[in-house]
Amino acid sequence: MSRKNGVLNHWGRALLAISALSMLGALGVRAGRNPTEHKIHDKERPHPPAVEARPTLTEPPSDAIVLFDGESLSEWESMDGSEPGWKVEDGNIVIELGTGHIRTKRRFGDCQLHIEWATKDPLGDKKYPGNSGVFFGPYEVQVLANHGEDNRIYADGMAGAIYGQYPPLANACREPGAWQSFDIIYRRPRFDEGGNLEKPATMTVFHNGVLVQDCETLTGPTAHERRPAYKPHGKVHIRLQEHSCVLHFRNIWARPLEAGKR
Amino acid sequence: MLEELRRNGSRAVLAAIAALMIAAVGHADRAVKKYEQHSKNRERPSHVSAKPVTLEPPSDAIVLFDGEDLSKWTSTEGDEAPFVVKEDYMEVNPDKGDIMTKKNVGDCQLHVEWASPKPAHGTGQDRGNSGVFFGVPGKTPSYYEVQILNNYENKTYADGMAGAIYGQYPPLKNACRPPGKWQSFDITYRRPRFDGDGNVKKPATLTVFHNGVLVQHNEALTGPTAHKKRPPYKPHGKLPIMLQDHDNPVKFRNVWVRPIEESKR
Repeated sequence: MSRKNGVLNHWGRALLAISALSMLGALGVRAGRNPTEHKIHDKERPHPPAVEARPTLTEPPSDAIVLFDGESLSEWESMDGSEPGWKVEDGNIVIELGTGHIRTKRRFGDCQLHIEWATKDPLGDKKYPGNSGVFFGPYEVQVLANHGEDNRIYADGMAGAIYGQYPPLANACREPGAWQSFDIIYRRPRFDEGGNLEKPATMTVFHNGVLVQDCETLTGPTAHERRPAYKPHGKVHIRLQEHSCVLHFRNIWARPLEAGKR
Repeated sequence: MLEELRRNGSRAVLAAIAALMIAAVGHADRAVKKYEQHSKNRERPSHVSAKPVTLEPPSDAIVLFDGEDLSKWTSTEGDEAPFVVKEDYMEVNPDKGDIMTKKNVGDCQLHVEWASPKPAHGTGQDRGNSGVFFGVPGKTPSYYEVQILNNYENKTYADGMAGAIYGQYPPLKNACRPPGKWQSFDITYRRPRFDGDGNVKKPATLTVFHNGVLVQHNEALTGPTAHKKRPPYKPHGKLPIMLQDHDNPVKFRNVWVRPIEESKR
């Protein structure tokens, strides 16, 4: 892109605008998927069809960083860097209510993440049972118990949603208590030296082996009732959310993707 | 470039958009045109040991092969499918031809498991060669291959390794298992889109997991895949899925496909 004295002329600005539009177009904001066409948490936004599926129970490939193998929380910390408050029981991570979220000690850029989870809330106890989330820094893939035709939750808050932005392509949620898998490809956003967005974050998600997000382009951080703008960042912690619900997690591993291969 | 824009107006803008689209879809260092096709010097990905994903079909999947019969398949001439069903798998019948699905697919998620012949014969591209195609060479206007090869301990050019988008994108990793071992591909295919005049509006993209390892991520294809050429796109809609007979008795099992809502492109 040409710059004269560090300032873009109007052709340059026009080109930047065109490039931003074409990036969104090319990167996966598909007809009917554009989050800006829908109000956040819109109750009228169509729910995806229900699909019955089994979790992928893949062993970590040889180049994976094993984040939990059933033994210990040594790869994890609480949000202030202290020992995590969650427990390990029978080979699973168990959320300990009131202790807050946990996050990886390591930070990740582009990566492939495998995680298995099971919701443990008693049925009918909560309006939205099984609420948790898998976060890459400020970007959440939603975890929730919304099996079958349970469409109480708004579409962009269902399990496998990129929260507040993209409903899953299918509702692949299993019955409460059953193990479920997420296989996630996270590509971090890129910023130029001035902190301007060069490339938005993208996410691909398979829920129980079913494609529910296909390289979707995030509008910015995910949030409740708002869609904040991007703020520059590099690698981030992976975070598991405590949202007043009890869940179990197991078999968590991540494969960093070569930085140059973005 | 800006002067040119002023002079040539919308044509230059269109070209700029096309270039930016490829840039936005593709990833740095994956720029396919940087490399001579089948270059022996193109860097080969490192090896990863991994187990196959052996998924049961989700409830909305179209089961293409469940171990029983070839009823969902024909030869590329529309005749009886020439592969052989043995036990719970089907096997290439060398030199008897490719098989293709009776049903055409557009955007979809495909699961297929395969195994290379054991003991292995041949070297380079002559070792366990086959391929998963969207489209049929010589029959459909375009065709896109995810390569099958036994390159477990067998050196070949990078864009011809298992999991490669043949002749275009090497896999991000060599996730090949030893001959005889079952392996999985999980592929997301987005068909290209064309305008009313047959110009490419959106290139085809492929995402591929080989034994659960991401080897292709939303890569934008330059056009059909081919040997020693990169032909331009020709307009098409939905296409059959084809499994290739490349003279090697490669086995297949557990093949299913989930169409993705076309409106969600």
